[in-house]
Amino acid sequence: MTDANTDTEPGRVETTRPEPPHRPSIDEVGDLARTVIGNTEQVIVGSHDAIEHIVTAMLGRGHVLLEDVPGVGKTMLARAIARSFESSFSRVQFTPDLLPSDVTGTNVFNQKTREFEFRPGPIFANVVLGDEINRAPPKTQSALLEAMEESQVTVDGTTHALEQPFTVIATQNAIERNRTYELPVAEVDRFMKRLELGYPEPDAESAMLDRTVGTHPIERLEPVATLDQLRGARAAVGEITVKGPIREYVTRLANYTRERAELGVSPRGSLSVLRAAQARAALDGRGYVIPDDVKREAAVTLAHRVRPASGADRTGRDVIEAALSAVRVE
Amino acid sequence: MSTTVRSALAERSSRFDGGVRRGLALGAAALLIASFLAVCFDVADVAGGTNRLVLFVAASFVAATLLARFLPAVAALLIAAALLGVGLWSYVLAVPNGAALLRSFGAVRADVLALLTGLSILQIAEAGIWVAGIAPAPTFLAWYFALRRQYVGAAVVGGVTLGFFVLTGDAGAVVVLAGVVGAAGVVGFGELDSYGGRSGHAEVLVIVLAAMIVIAPLVSVVPSGAEESLVPSGGSGGGGGSTVEGSLLAAGDRVGIQGSISLSPELRFTVESDRASYWRAAAYDRYTGEGWVRTGDTRPLDGSLAGPPGNATTIDQTYEAEADIGLLLAAWKPVDIAGLAAEGAKVTDLNGLQPGDGLEPGDTYSVTSRQPIATSDALRTAGRNYPDGLAERYTALPESTPQRVANRTARITANADNPYDTARIVERWLEGTKNYSLDVDRPDGNIADAFLFGMDRGYCVYFATTMATMLRSQDIPARFVTGYAEGQRVAEEEWVVRGYDSHAWVEVYFPDAGWIRFDPTPGGPRTAVENASLEDARAGNATDIDTNASEGGEWTPTPTRTPFGGTNDSEPDDAANVQGGLEGVAEEEAEGANGTVSLPPGAETTGSAANGTGGDSSGPGPSLPSPTREQWAFGLVALAGLAAGARRSGAAERTYRELWLRYHPDDAPATEVERAFERLEYLLEQRHRPRRPDETPREYLAAIDADDRAVRVGDLYERARYAGSATGAEGDEATELVAGLVRERTPLLRRLRRS
Repeated sequence: MTDANTDTEPGRVETTRPEPPHRPSIDEVGDLARTVIGNTEQVIVGSHDAIEHIVTAMLGRGHVLLEDVPGVGKTMLARAIARSFESSFSRVQFTPDLLPSDVTGTNVFNQKTREFEFRPGPIFANVVLGDEINRAPPKTQSALLEAMEESQVTVDGTTHALEQPFTVIATQNAIERNRTYELPVAEVDRFMKRLELGYPEPDAESAMLDRTVGTHPIERLEPVATLDQLRGARAAVGEITVKGPIREYVTRLANYTRERAELGVSPRGSLSVLRAAQARAALDGRGYVIPDDVKREAAVTLAHRVRPASGADRTGRDVIEAALSAVRVE
Repeated sequence: MSTTVRSALAERSSRFDGGVRRGLALGAAALLIASFLAVCFDVADVAGGTNRLVLFVAASFVAATLLARFLPAVAALLIAAALLGVGLWSYVLAVPNGAALLRSFGAVRADVLALLTGLSILQIAEAGIWVAGIAPAPTFLAWYFALRRQYVGAAVVGGVTLGFFVLTGDAGAVVVLAGVVGAAGVVGFGELDSYGGRSGHAEVLVIVLAAMIVIAPLVSVVPSGAEESLVPSGGSGGGGGSTVEGSLLAAGDRVGIQGSISLSPELRFTVESDRASYWRAAAYDRYTGEGWVRTGDTRPLDGSLAGPPGNATTIDQTYEAEADIGLLLAAWKPVDIAGLAAEGAKVTDLNGLQPGDGLEPGDTYSVTSRQPIATSDALRTAGRNYPDGLAERYTALPESTPQRVANRTARITANADNPYDTARIVERWLEGTKNYSLDVDRPDGNIADAFLFGMDRGYCVYFATTMATMLRSQDIPARFVTGYAEGQRVAEEEWVVRGYDSHAWVEVYFPDAGWIRFDPTPGGPRTAVENASLEDARAGNATDIDTNASEGGEWTPTPTRTPFGGTNDSEPDDAANVQGGLEGVAEEEAEGANGTVSLPPGAETTGSAANGTGGDSSGPGPSLPSPTREQWAFGLVALAGLAAGARRSGAAERTYRELWLRYHPDDAPATEVERAFERLEYLLEQRHRPRRPDETPREYLAAIDADDRAVRVGDLYERARYAGSATGAEGDEATELVAGLVRERTPLLRRLRRS
């Protein structure tokens, strides 16, 4: 129990997060976000929206689930964004035999000191890429999900705080469903956003091939933002104004889905869409959230939390679209 | 914001639920039922039995309400038929000789026909019992149908009943209009109730109903429209002719009371008689509060008539018509009539004469009358031993007659200890306290009460009506009589009678003497008015106003009209009144009154109405005519229709919006910006399309490709609303930008700028 980040009392986290020295203005946050996005786009072609969504999720203190067919660049996208920050990055390939301790870390016996010491797992990084998360058994999945929710892991009764900022970008294959452990809705709920990349446009694919056929450009990608800048930006985004009309709008949207789907948007979902909207406002250099921000973020932040009424030939996304076109903006 | 307003309107519209629709339908049914019940209550008020009618009607409503839950329609129809049968049977039992009447099918058929062709219910005997027998059945059935949602059935029952009263002539225009509106409302709102209409449909119906109400009276207001006016245009009410004659003699079985009237100096007839008298045309026994009605049958004259019960003197008269006239005049009490013009003469139930056909100029007839003679002392001691039924018939007053009439009369006549003194005191009191004038505003409600307490002037009809009412309130049998005063005496035994001599007075019954005449109208002023009229006519070279003899003036000074000139009694005042009062002659009626109207009624009415509405000259300043109750109601209905129409057509909202667009209250900057944006939204809505509820302001402005100023206002609005921050400068800027856009939008300015 010598880890510096470990509290002596189990279940308690020592919250010693130094305040960032500089609280950036909204404009600076917007500049920062755009710089990161531009940097990432040097590597990833044709996924501007997805990049924006991931960057805003990071600013909004959320985690992202990328769901799509294999080979559309999910992993590359996550790596490129992680590299754009001066952050630690780790990748976990989830497999059916992966154990929770393979993710969180484990206590090992040190022969020299004759004591157990904690060896942190891959989750102790600023950006964690969990690849094909749905291939791991539920127990392992839940280890990751608990870390996402609590920003901490508990190993052998000892709680270890994770790096800050901490962002999980998980990917999930949308095919071969019968050979996977699909995440229950309750657990998907912990992701701020679920994104579907889709195949690139022909032009974009051609450009991508051109750039990556030799050395992959990601190897040359330089960080453009420090962790301190990211922390400051997150703090600034959290301060962005959300007035009553916006909160009421989000509440109406959530209620709409609750009335018209078997499982509607949870309060956590409502919170997520507001945080994402804050980040979106910051990206726009705006100090307050407008309904357009909410609309822009609603589909990606809410659709995966909705289970449509059984028998209805609709997806969660359809329900959200319907809510957006039915709920009054005031 | 406008979307909020619209959605609120939509919500309210959809909230127009079944309860409201049903309430409206039932309300209309109640209006329809009330319309014919109003006729019944009017009759009951005059003829007696209001309490009984209230009881029956209330019981009908309660029974219908209770039975409507489970009773099938067939059973309800049977119950209504039974109610009607029982009601009519009770009536037959209540009237004298009723049972005998029933045995004669022809008589029943004749009575029904008479009712359906204009015989007023007020003219039938025991009318109060009759309506009490009739009213419950349709009330029960109509209300039953309305509660059963069989609205058409309710409308049919109510409509047929009201239609019956229309045919009898007892339903006034306002009542009929109310009934028609009620019937239309029952069917209309009933349909909405049955098929789930929305408030929009109800608004259309309100417009239609309001149009019915508003347009119907306009028919009589526009020039050359029909004559009867639903809404009195001035102080004078009622319809018909506007001369005294027209008002008195035009209608056969009833006399309405009018407002301002004028006099015609045209010749009517000449009389050769051995004594002066009032030439009597008709008498009326039933007072309705607003006029007089004669009850009973009119029968053909067959042989001689009985003379008065007491002493009498014979008067022989010969009448020559100088104009078309529908009367058989006679001094009271006629016993015999002869001459061509008397062919087919009829006798009313009150022993008045009626011609078979109208008289034409030159027609002559002669009448022998037996004028009662009695000294005042004899009358004082005549007592109150009246024949059976006479007191009931001639002392009846509408139940709505205020008690203060009786109280005032009792106070005035406190010193009188017999009917004769009472009558004399009332006659003198009216002569002395009220002024004579043809220019009066017809009061609402009970004429006698209004004249007694609210008016200081009037003409013979008011005086006579009031005196009869006052006497009846003291249980003295009195009736209202119309006819002509004696006219201009052109020879010892010849009188010329003109239109302005038409008159109304009172007859009082004394046992052993019969009907004795009393005239409460001040004589002097009346003669002055008449002479002025004659002078005017002569100055205007009018024809038909003089006979050869009459231009020379009076044969002797005209005796004072009241007290009327006496004959052989030595005590001038007393005897004159008594014996003068013993006049009598025929009574009757005048269908031919058209010929007596000398001027177009419109012209005269206009003049007098103008005077009437000008108010009293004693007033402190020019007074505006104050609207009557009917005018208020009319105005309110018109307003309701306009409001519904305006709402329906959206004109109300548009008007409001136009004002609101230009109204910029000084407010908190954030509010100011939001208001400015609402105005902008409205402008853009007019030019492009409304903002969809799910559209954000930004999406909307982009979708319609709004110009920079609008986008700027949108930005300011977003900041004000979603950031909660707005400076005064921003508020002003938004207001100014939108004001500019509003100005551009104004078509005239835009056109000017283009050119």
